[in-house]
Amino acid sequence: MSDTTAETPAVPATSVRGGGPESLTDRLRSPRTYAVLIGSLLLLALPFYLDRFWLQAGLFAMAAAIGAIGLNMLTGATGQLSMGHAFFLAVGAYGYCVLAGESSTENGHTLNGLGLPTWLAAILAVLLAGAAGGIFSPIAGRLRGAYLGIATLALIFIGQHILFNAGSLTGGYNGRAVPPLSVFGFTFDDSELVVAAVPFGSSEKLWYAGLLALLLSALFARGVLRGRPGRAMNAIRDHRIAAGVMGVPVARYRAGVFVLSSMYAGLAGVLLALVFQRTVPEYFGMILSLEYLAMIVIGGLGSVAGAVIGAAFVSLLPQVFTHYSDSLPLVSAPGTGGLAPGEASRYLYGAAVVAVVLFLPGGLARLGLARTKKPKNPAVPKQPAAPKNPGEKS
Amino acid sequence: MKLRVLTAVVAALAVTLVGCSGKATEGKADGEGEGGIKTGPGVSSSTISLGVLTDMTGVYASLGKSVTQAQQLWVKQTNDAGGICDRKIELTVRDHGYDPQKAIAAYTELVPDVAGFAQFIGSPFVAAVEQRIDGQDKGLVLPQAWSANLLGSPYIRVIGATYDVETINLIDYLLAEKRIAKGDKIGHVYFEGDYGENALVGSKHAAKEAGLTVVEQKIKPTDNDMTAQVAALKQAGVKAVIVSAGPRQAASLVGVAAATGFNVPVVGNNSAFAPQLLKTQAGPALLKDYYVASSTLPIGDPGDGPAKLAKEYAAQYPKDVLDNGVVAGYTAASLFGEALTKACDDKDLTREGIDKALLTIKGYGTEFGVTHDFSDPKAPSTRESVIMKPDAGAAGGLKVVRPAEVAPAAESFTTGS
Repeated sequence: MSDTTAETPAVPATSVRGGGPESLTDRLRSPRTYAVLIGSLLLLALPFYLDRFWLQAGLFAMAAAIGAIGLNMLTGATGQLSMGHAFFLAVGAYGYCVLAGESSTENGHTLNGLGLPTWLAAILAVLLAGAAGGIFSPIAGRLRGAYLGIATLALIFIGQHILFNAGSLTGGYNGRAVPPLSVFGFTFDDSELVVAAVPFGSSEKLWYAGLLALLLSALFARGVLRGRPGRAMNAIRDHRIAAGVMGVPVARYRAGVFVLSSMYAGLAGVLLALVFQRTVPEYFGMILSLEYLAMIVIGGLGSVAGAVIGAAFVSLLPQVFTHYSDSLPLVSAPGTGGLAPGEASRYLYGAAVVAVVLFLPGGLARLGLARTKKPKNPAVPKQPAAPKNPGEKS
Repeated sequence: MKLRVLTAVVAALAVTLVGCSGKATEGKADGEGEGGIKTGPGVSSSTISLGVLTDMTGVYASLGKSVTQAQQLWVKQTNDAGGICDRKIELTVRDHGYDPQKAIAAYTELVPDVAGFAQFIGSPFVAAVEQRIDGQDKGLVLPQAWSANLLGSPYIRVIGATYDVETINLIDYLLAEKRIAKGDKIGHVYFEGDYGENALVGSKHAAKEAGLTVVEQKIKPTDNDMTAQVAALKQAGVKAVIVSAGPRQAASLVGVAAATGFNVPVVGNNSAFAPQLLKTQAGPALLKDYYVASSTLPIGDPGDGPAKLAKEYAAQYPKDVLDNGVVAGYTAASLFGEALTKACDDKDLTREGIDKALLTIKGYGTEFGVTHDFSDPKAPSTRESVIMKPDAGAAGGLKVVRPAEVAPAAESFTTGS
């Protein structure tokens, strides 16, 4: 369920707890301000302390979060199921490679590339993903819910076929190398840059680019969801005909959200490609789309925070499991028989999806909200009733 | 009150931030251990860590399991014999389940703490980290893949003949046995992707040399039914078929061909066979006229090397199937051991030292029937292939029909062209 639906009945409460006009002193008193401050300081400082492994895991999570925010706007806020998210990620990732890469020959494949400046290529790749969504939007505008899910399934198969066979663009089976991002002469590559005695490689540098991208996408999405378009989207999800009667252009909104969500996927794809340093077609399959759906369900449908939390949960869990497989009970080191860490994390998030759907219909994001806000506002405990909304299933 | 606590926390955090990070560039340089031996990442005074990036839950699960267990067996034997350079060998295994994200994450995770990788399954992932291996990490990586695309890097070393060379040897076997002759057509069923495409380069080369014509049939790894391919090849009138695909495709192809009375010899690359196939309906057909090439003797060979390994492996893992992954894994691990031993003699256990030591290894691996030469990173370590035939009686389901040999066409062939 969404932030907005949950908040609408509690409008008076909202203004009390920090959404509405508030004085500076009020803000200074709220522990939330400090939590945010400390959190962002920590995030900024992490590259100085963490290993490349954890930074890379964090970057995967950031990319996933951007993609999940996009999907959450489509599926969570507007109620349109999409199974084709992986396709738009691929458009972003490969679009960037083709636009920024130079033409070359690799392993007998002739690779075509436009050799554009990489920052321009990154922006164009996002627009390209949006355009791909735009081409599909006449369909996205007319189909609703699960029907759209089935239609978008086709995109995955088309995408996989193209990725494997358009060798001159995608490099075929082995993929193609990703040119490092370069902005105003600063290149996000592995050439070492020493900052405060800490060597900065590509992961450290990209960390900041990823944070910035995530922040901007989250703020933009929040703006959309909290404003007029967000209400219209929720109205479409909850009752399409009623929304239409109230003057919401349903088809146009659906198509528009689809384009927007594919642009988010495109941005996530660009970031992923930069982290991977090589795009491989295998990755952009069915499983990836399903993982994104799992993220938004676990995190909480319809909200930005939910998407981010879900993305972090789904993409960090396997890494944590593998890394600490020696010290975790039940999970055994690979090769010794028993439950492999990869399997364990799959079971765990399967269980998490079931548990969330059964006990926490608002997702993990709701859990955090309920805990911090319950004592402050007696009106909030009623909110868990909101998820019984019929919109959930359409 | 609360405010004060928070201020304190913020202040404390700020102090930590100013404090030194463990990542700062100190103590990262190669050290000098006791006995004047230079050591690099992954090597301490008592252990040498090696990484293993395998697939135990994905598409290559059965191969990954055999290879990894064989390597663990080698480690156990080596440590029981006193280790290498007075150090115990340690394997750190990561299962990536053939998922690029996990594979790359696992590589990143292990690379600071290991001397090199004794196994890396999945050539796309090896290609994905190739820049980092060649550019900064410079650790030795032994992939379990035989694509010619992987040649050329001084750090990524393929053990055995590449698919193209292997395919040339297979065609040579058919010619030598007079199953095909000049002017004939041969069919080639191959996977899209670098395995199949690399094998196709070989078959085209061999066909040109011998005056044959290749009829191509490209398939996807998800295609399991070869009826259409068999019909097309039958229509084209081919005299023999090459399979550069997985075990399932090979079984389907041979089975369907036999059922439709299309009696031609079928030959396959080393990945196109699994002992489990003999128990399927295609079993009898496979036993009749199917041949597989490989760069090692089969595990069921009566020769000393395979027989000893088969016995020890069966003792250690009594429940598991013996297949060629066991030999491949064991060979790779012991090759890494050989390089470490040589590097130890040179008193240089840094990554450069190990790489350099590997370049001096020639005439290696004779106990498994094929001699490898690692002095040239641009060439495959051998051009020889052993030709085998399924045999229900042998462990691992294969017996040798022609010992390691290089086809004249493979001798003159330049890989990667």
